Amino acid sequence: MSSLLENTNIREEEMILNVGPQHPSTHGVFRLVVKLDAETIVEAEPVIGYLHRGTEKLAEDLQYTQIIPYTDRLDYLSAMLNNYALCRTVEEALDLEIPERAEHLRVIVMELNRIGSHLLAVGSYLLDLGAMSPFLYVFQEREQIVQLLNEISGARLTYNYMRVGGVKWDAPPGWLDRVREFLPFMKERIKMYDKLITGNEIFVDRTRKIGIYDTEKALSYGLSGINLRSTGFKWDLRRNKPYSIYDRFDFEIPVGQTGDCFDRYYLHILEMEQSVRIVEQAVAQIPSSGAILGKVPKMIRVPAGEYYTGIEGSRGELGFYIVSDGKDKPYRLKIRKPSFVNLQILPELLRGQSMANLIAILGAIDIVLGEVDG
Amino acid sequence: MSDEQNKDTLTQTQAENPAETGTLSEKAADTAAASTTSETATPEKAKPTPAAKPAAAQAPADPKPATPEAPTEAKPATPEAAPADPKPATPEATAAAKPAPAKKAPPPPDPRALAAKEIAEKLKQSLVSALGEASVEETGAAHFKPMVRIRKEDWATAVELLRTHPEWKLNYLELMAGTDYKDYIEVVIYLQSIELGHFLCLKTRTDREEAKLPSLVSSHAGVNWEEREIYDLLGVNFTNHPDLRRIMMWDEFKGHPLRKDYSEWD
Repeated sequence: MSSLLENTNIREEEMILNVGPQHPSTHGVFRLVVKLDAETIVEAEPVIGYLHRGTEKLAEDLQYTQIIPYTDRLDYLSAMLNNYALCRTVEEALDLEIPERAEHLRVIVMELNRIGSHLLAVGSYLLDLGAMSPFLYVFQEREQIVQLLNEISGARLTYNYMRVGGVKWDAPPGWLDRVREFLPFMKERIKMYDKLITGNEIFVDRTRKIGIYDTEKALSYGLSGINLRSTGFKWDLRRNKPYSIYDRFDFEIPVGQTGDCFDRYYLHILEMEQSVRIVEQAVAQIPSSGAILGKVPKMIRVPAGEYYTGIEGSRGELGFYIVSDGKDKPYRLKIRKPSFVNLQILPELLRGQSMANLIAILGAIDIVLGEVDG
Repeated sequence: MSDEQNKDTLTQTQAENPAETGTLSEKAADTAAASTTSETATPEKAKPTPAAKPAAAQAPADPKPATPEAPTEAKPATPEAAPADPKPATPEATAAAKPAPAKKAPPPPDPRALAAKEIAEKLKQSLVSALGEASVEETGAAHFKPMVRIRKEDWATAVELLRTHPEWKLNYLELMAGTDYKDYIEVVIYLQSIELGHFLCLKTRTDREEAKLPSLVSSHAGVNWEEREIYDLLGVNFTNHPDLRRIMMWDEFKGHPLRKDYSEWD
């Protein structure tokens, strides 16, 4: 009688594993089909479109002001930035002048929104990697930010706050003071996160030297935002193609060094610090009164032609491309969605990695599915 | 490795920045910053007085400022060649500012548009010298950004050429969009040169029936999904695309929603 072990031919074959579309660490409805050779990823194929609502098509039947609430639902974590990106393109097309107070309010809410979005990006990334507490911690500050934005816009997530030519509501009494009070608290908390997370050896070992790419690759993939800056390349549209009043503020553009997942995480922390700086300066400089909406025609008709402007969204370059035939509705609206573009590099990053790194790499790209699917 | 070390390395990068990319990007940043149109600094927009506006809007590469000479050139700025040139500037904006005169001479061309056209002409020359006279179909400005329309057969070759061309180095593709114009489908890309600071717009056209274009994936890996999206929603076939499938809609879906004649009840 031969041993059971001798005769066993261990079968080797590649395995297809389906991740998502409802997997919690995909941050929405994102499906990833992975071909595995034991623990190693041979191939990965993202499948998207589960949340496709046809925003671009819907916009063709909407007036410009009516499109704004739709942009809230793209990257729902940074709706203020989406609002602004659309309004700015229309404003550039109309060559509008924006009142000072409105510009300041815009910058304040945008940067607060950016902090909120980065907080959640960090928190959920840590949650993906198995650290529960930071995710719960970040909701404390995020709640305060959401409260502030709620007070000024009337909504917690889908703000619909910007208008072509300015903003919808002026700051309620005492609001700016509450922002001023919030900032020192936020600064302390950022330091705390830095200690708590960056100082966590397990986390650092888990993300260092994983998902590395260089600047050239990032540029060929059209990456933007933190995904591009993590390679050490300084490219921030707030500086490189200044818009609004960002040229008046003093802030740094942090860049990474190795282009790995850790750098991408850490840049979130550093950028929050810079956003706090910007809000501090904006709150100090804001005129105490004044118009919040410029001289905008009752019916907004964009002159015939085509327009593209991009802003630095919280996930990268967020741009709106408008083709107008002179009517009050766009002939074609195309959204340059940073999450959509950034996600494309995923299969390349995953190839040859171990299965356990999948979530670490995907989480660091920091996508929002509402934006990926449009 | 301690966190302090990690932090140190990162902050160091901030401070001294890797030698090459740092200087390059800073250069790009400087040129871009220098050329920004300060929106706040142009009062009374409704009046057609473009001479007062700062020129060279999106023309960071232009070695000399275009303001002094652009208006004197005073080309009869053919309106059909410049689709972005706002026709008798925004009727209702003018109306809001003051009672508009019923008839008005067409405003003189905006110096920013002229500067953009100049760059577009230069780009055309680079393309023509490499690919022949027929490769460029149109030059102009798309809202103060240089615009060149390329014959569809030369689309991929031209983009690849410009990516490595020493005068242009258009290596960063920011936007790709397709539009159905009822008679034809137009695909437009906005390219940025990280080193030289150019930012411009290239276009090509294809007919709606059997819409077909060469794919750009070999030059810019990032257009992979964009081309799939255009294929999905506008029905343009990209030849040599590595993986041309629907991306937003499901595989069994019929039709192309972003086409103007699409009806969901078909």
